[in-house]
Amino acid sequence: MRSVLKKVFWFALAFGIIVQIFPRSNALEPETNSTDNLVIQEAIDNIRFYSSYNYQTLTVDKLNRLTADFYLPVNYSDVSITYSIESDYLLINDETETITLRTGDIEVIKVEVIDLPSVLKGEQAFVINATFNYQGDSFTKVYYGQIIPVIPDSFLGGSIYTIVTYGKMFFEGAILTLGISLVGTIAGFILALFLATSRLIKVTEQDNKLMSLIKIFFNKFSAIYITIFRGTPMIVQASFFWYGFGLFGDPLLCGLFVVSLNTAAYIAEIIRGGIQSIDKGQTEAAFSVGLNYSQTMLFVIFPQAIKNAMPAIGNEFVINIKDTAVLSVIGIFELFNQAKKITGMHYRQLEAYAIVALIYLFLTYTVSAILKYIEKKMDMKPVDLVSSN
Amino acid sequence: MSLLKIIDLHKAYGNEEVLKGINLEVNQGEIISIIGSSGSGKSTLLRSINYLERPSSGEILFHDKNYFQTQKAIQKLRTKITMVFQSFYLFENLTVIENIMLAPKKVLKQNKTFLREKALKTLDKVGMKEFQNKAPKHLSGGQKQRVAIARALMMDPEIILFDEPTSALDPEMVGEVLEVMKKLARSGITMLIVTHEMDFARELSDKVIFMNEGIVYESGTPEELFLKPKNKRTLEFLKRVSH
Repeated sequence: MRSVLKKVFWFALAFGIIVQIFPRSNALEPETNSTDNLVIQEAIDNIRFYSSYNYQTLTVDKLNRLTADFYLPVNYSDVSITYSIESDYLLINDETETITLRTGDIEVIKVEVIDLPSVLKGEQAFVINATFNYQGDSFTKVYYGQIIPVIPDSFLGGSIYTIVTYGKMFFEGAILTLGISLVGTIAGFILALFLATSRLIKVTEQDNKLMSLIKIFFNKFSAIYITIFRGTPMIVQASFFWYGFGLFGDPLLCGLFVVSLNTAAYIAEIIRGGIQSIDKGQTEAAFSVGLNYSQTMLFVIFPQAIKNAMPAIGNEFVINIKDTAVLSVIGIFELFNQAKKITGMHYRQLEAYAIVALIYLFLTYTVSAILKYIEKKMDMKPVDLVSSN
Repeated sequence: MSLLKIIDLHKAYGNEEVLKGINLEVNQGEIISIIGSSGSGKSTLLRSINYLERPSSGEILFHDKNYFQTQKAIQKLRTKITMVFQSFYLFENLTVIENIMLAPKKVLKQNKTFLREKALKTLDKVGMKEFQNKAPKHLSGGQKQRVAIARALMMDPEIILFDEPTSALDPEMVGEVLEVMKKLARSGITMLIVTHEMDFARELSDKVIFMNEGIVYESGTPEELFLKPKNKRTLEFLKRVSH
């Protein structure tokens, strides 16, 4: 009776392990199944590990640094399973080195490599012996695994593999980068209208004391604001607001906030220049037919100034596409940060960064071309791309 | 009662005094030409009348009332005394018809359909009706100035100030603008014109003012001033410009 129960339990456990490991064992979902440079591709009877050191030559030293999550069930069919914990790690015993595989949430089993490949190159098979304890009895299960190169050695092959495998991540990153840049530029523009206006208001003799104080306050405020945001790097601003205050409790919102604030300072100066470049005669002509100051600004000066400033504001958008890369520092997975994450998958830096550079180039070039087309259509003066902030 | 009365008007930029006590009376329906060499303060006088320049001292009375009390009053005055500039200054962001409709719409709050009709009528008056939907940058100088005149007219002003309206124009376009101004003069509106067109001033004006070094040096009917000037300076100036 007891031995039957044992058998039933054992099969249940084995099945449980399959269920637990499988979702984590698909290389196409690297977020969940990969840690550092080791990928479990299949479980149970064919655990495949992968190392992506350059040139794929696995030395014992490199193997020593491999880690992998290894999940085992705590419950199966209402039976709670306990494991004897020998250590926090799965151990693969090498004759020369001890290789540790990190376990997941659940505690552990003893694993040893009983058939270590003699030559650590290319596809290598190995076997792991796992011992489980259940109600005082111990069970053993053998796992067969192999170390295979997943990513081709060559740059071209590696690049193609990276695009195919992680294309979705790149795409998501690019969309996020475009989104943050666009929203940041638009929000910055709206804020900049306010800043540029406050920067240009002047106290006139007809203002009473309170009015002139208010005007001076807004004027100084925008002057100081512009100085601060143009005088400090965005990476510092982002870190300041996120790590300093945890603003909005969400790095994405905080990042959007920082980009908008930063862009506003630059666009405010662009708009101010645009307003100042409008012939004084336009104001006088508006005054001469009875329009007041705000009507003149609203219906005559601003439309012209903004039209003149539009190409430069468009350039701010292009600059933002590049500059939002610094938001990776507060943990926003925009394009650059996605690339950084992808390099971590296989420790292959060159391919991921080359691809991400091309994507950035594509984005900025396309957006510039679109803006130029619009400028031409709307008969605006094009402005050369200025240097990044 | 005179329509506009200027009493001892002074204007200084720092230490440099441009207007040194101007006294002038303008009656309803009068066409007054202001002539004089450049730097004599003609334009400053004109610009002071609707407070584009702030007088340093003196008084400007419109219907015997001093409007320079509040910003609102100044704006109100400007709807009654409009101005045409040397460099046109059409609103570059608006089409011809929008240009002339903007102020009546926003300041006088006139009804849109009424305004449109009025705008077309006014454009017709200056011969620019078929250009109503053009952008200012596609117009020639003479066309722009005619639109600028229409813009000034749209406020139904009592006085229009012309600040050298033909000086920035190519010679062949001067005629069309002067033609429009003549038509206006006949309609009975009060006009103050700073000009270098002596023949035009002579033909059209009820009164000609010669300004020199910030004062009204001599004034009179065109016949008096052009044919028998009392002052040596006036004579010298007229001699210079007639060549």
